Amino acid sequence: MSEVIFPKMSAADGATGVIVTWFVDSGDPVTPTTLIAEVAVDKVDAEVYPETGGVITLLVPEEAEVVQGSVIATIT
Amino acid sequence: MTLYPALTDDMRRGMLQTMVLIRTYEEAILREYHADKSPGFDIGAGLIPGEMHLSAGQEPVAAGLGLHLTKDDALTATHRPHHVAIAKGVRLREMTAEIFGRETGLGRGRGGHMHLFDPETHFSCSGIIAEGLPPALGQAFAFQRRGTDRVAVAVAGEGAANQGAFHESLNLAALWKLPVVFVIEDNDWGISVPRAQSTSVQSNAVRGAAYGMPGIRVEDNSVEGVYEAAGEAIARARAGDGPSLIEVHTLRLWGHFEGDAQGYRTDLDGVPGRDPLPTYRNTLTAQGVLTDSDFAAMEASASELVEDAIDFAKASPTPSPANALDYVFAEGARS
Amino acid sequence: MTAALPTAPLHTVGPNLAVEPDAGTRKLSTAKAMQEAIAQQMRTDDSVFVMGEDVGPYGGIFSSTTGLIEEFGPTRVIDTPISETAFIGTGIGAAIEGMRPVVELMFSDFFGVCMDQIYNHMAKIHYESGGNVQVPMVLMTATGGGYSDGAQHSQTLWGTFAHLPGMKVVVPSNPYDAKGLMTAAIRSNDPVVFMFHKGVMGLGWMKKNRRSIGAVPEEPYEVPIGKAKVVREGTDVTIVTLSLSVHHSLDVAEKLAEEGISVEVLDLRSLVPLDRDAIVASVSKTGRLIVVDEDYQSFGLSGEVIASVVERAPGLLTHVSRVCLPDVPIPYASQLEYAVLPTPARIEAAVREAMGGGVAS
Repeated sequence: MSEVIFPKMSAADGATGVIVTWFVDSGDPVTPTTLIAEVAVDKVDAEVYPETGGVITLLVPEEAEVVQGSVIATIT
Repeated sequence: MTLYPALTDDMRRGMLQTMVLIRTYEEAILREYHADKSPGFDIGAGLIPGEMHLSAGQEPVAAGLGLHLTKDDALTATHRPHHVAIAKGVRLREMTAEIFGRETGLGRGRGGHMHLFDPETHFSCSGIIAEGLPPALGQAFAFQRRGTDRVAVAVAGEGAANQGAFHESLNLAALWKLPVVFVIEDNDWGISVPRAQSTSVQSNAVRGAAYGMPGIRVEDNSVEGVYEAAGEAIARARAGDGPSLIEVHTLRLWGHFEGDAQGYRTDLDGVPGRDPLPTYRNTLTAQGVLTDSDFAAMEASASELVEDAIDFAKASPTPSPANALDYVFAEGARS
Repeated sequence: MTAALPTAPLHTVGPNLAVEPDAGTRKLSTAKAMQEAIAQQMRTDDSVFVMGEDVGPYGGIFSSTTGLIEEFGPTRVIDTPISETAFIGTGIGAAIEGMRPVVELMFSDFFGVCMDQIYNHMAKIHYESGGNVQVPMVLMTATGGGYSDGAQHSQTLWGTFAHLPGMKVVVPSNPYDAKGLMTAAIRSNDPVVFMFHKGVMGLGWMKKNRRSIGAVPEEPYEVPIGKAKVVREGTDVTIVTLSLSVHHSLDVAEKLAEEGISVEVLDLRSLVPLDRDAIVASVSKTGRLIVVDEDYQSFGLSGEVIASVVERAPGLLTHVSRVCLPDVPIPYASQLEYAVLPTPARIEAAVREAMGGGVAS
């Protein structure tokens, strides 16, 4: 199993952002080239790709506020 | 170091020949333009309808530039384009046919005398003051990106130097070191408004400094002065050293457009003495470079070329009204 | 002394691409679909380049060019000074010489400072030259309101561009069409104005519509310029619309279907050429026409759509109405702005009225 982490986009510790878009649903197969999410801190966006392939489980809904560095999905 | 060839006697005669060809051409267009517009003056009547801006008096700008340019260089001209078109080598027959609004014209009769486009010589015009400059930047950009030493020359009048497009273009060209030469033709008049009433500086050439590019003003409508200033600027552009600005103090021998009675014009008494054509002829004659028979031969040759082009235009078919909507797009039907 | 190059570049493009292939399952936002289309064409055609304000490291103020400079570098993804006349003209000149520029005008509202290059040069040179000079250029621009950006940063203005001859105008509403139309626009030998509504881009910092994310094929493909699409079939009322208003119209159609009202939604996708056949075909099914347009109401697209039906088949129409932006500068305060935008509530009321129920039913 691997974890998908909300990337660190702000220098400030504990900064929060949002999941802008999940491009996949729980149960979808993913690979390291699958764009799974777009996240944002303020007006800055970042794309999220998984480190490993497998089946994804989303842990956080779209538009929810998330502390950067926290786990937002798992892959098994 | 001189970056361009020193003028030879052949080149001097060549520039005069170009000036004679331009003057002969403009006189012939003048004749044909007015032929069917009387009595009175009906701008839409005759074999050549519409506005007509002739370049008599501004031949030195074209002749001095033309020697430095090849077919592969680009030139964007203004609403008064014939002289630079001729010096750039635009096909005389097709250009004349366009002025006559014929199907054989450069634009198949869709453009007219202010909208001459010749892809063979990378020549184009804009009828909007200063708006021919930005496309010249793009042509220069393409030349630069492809690693060629081709240049783009953007010609504009002194009135254009007060337009935003001029200032945007100079900044961008200098910023990106584009191979462009800006040539301002100062003919003293923006239609009826004298330069002193429109322009805050004595010489537009000083405006080059605002954008970090060389600026030079050529006085006295000197064709050899244009040759030298353009030689320097074009060599600089070809070498990748960026744009330059040249202003030429030239002469609008005739009206802004044909039909312009020029009642506003306070300098007319001095105009005949400023005509660059007899001036340069006399200079070359005095230097022993030109004989009367040389000049007569130039006139005969020019006349032959020009009348051939006029005959070609007159004999060409007019465009079919049924095809008026053709060429809006390259691909697909109109909506 | 100069390199030999073709002097009259009448343009050619590579092999034909698939036209409107199956969407597959891979999902993108509209912004990412545009980025992908541009990147794919840049990879296969080195004459394609991108130019505009903040298109480089910023990635486009509305994310139209995110990631491009990282792949293609600053010589092909070029940040410009705030000189729209100069850089749009530069695009035109480069296109004349055989390149394929993708030039961004940051907001369509900014056309006022550079329209001469657009409508007098980009759009007219092909005609004035009798077809001898082509201008294969894409002018992409952000349009639309809904986020309190005021009267100078919220307009759509597509009717203004479409009114002036010589430029094709495309207005995608979703990721699939955005990629296909951008690909077609870059490969077109005509100037194409590509107008993307900020509200369909799928941006995280703006109210997001679920239809801004959708399945997009990974391979390059084209959506033909000039073809509308029925995005929802129906039998009672035709809504002809475009861009963000497609999303609202579909939302309304879904809601009213529960009441047994069958709404057909036609997404124009292109304004020039305008798919008048598709408009007439839909109205011939329903007889009732509502045009939903975020552009100003008078003298524009909505009247043109209605005229297309009236001129061709006036007997078809049993009802016609418009839900547009009334002729007013777009207000700042949200309460005022949403009073003039073509909201789902206004669209729903128009459908009910068309069905004879009256506005209050």
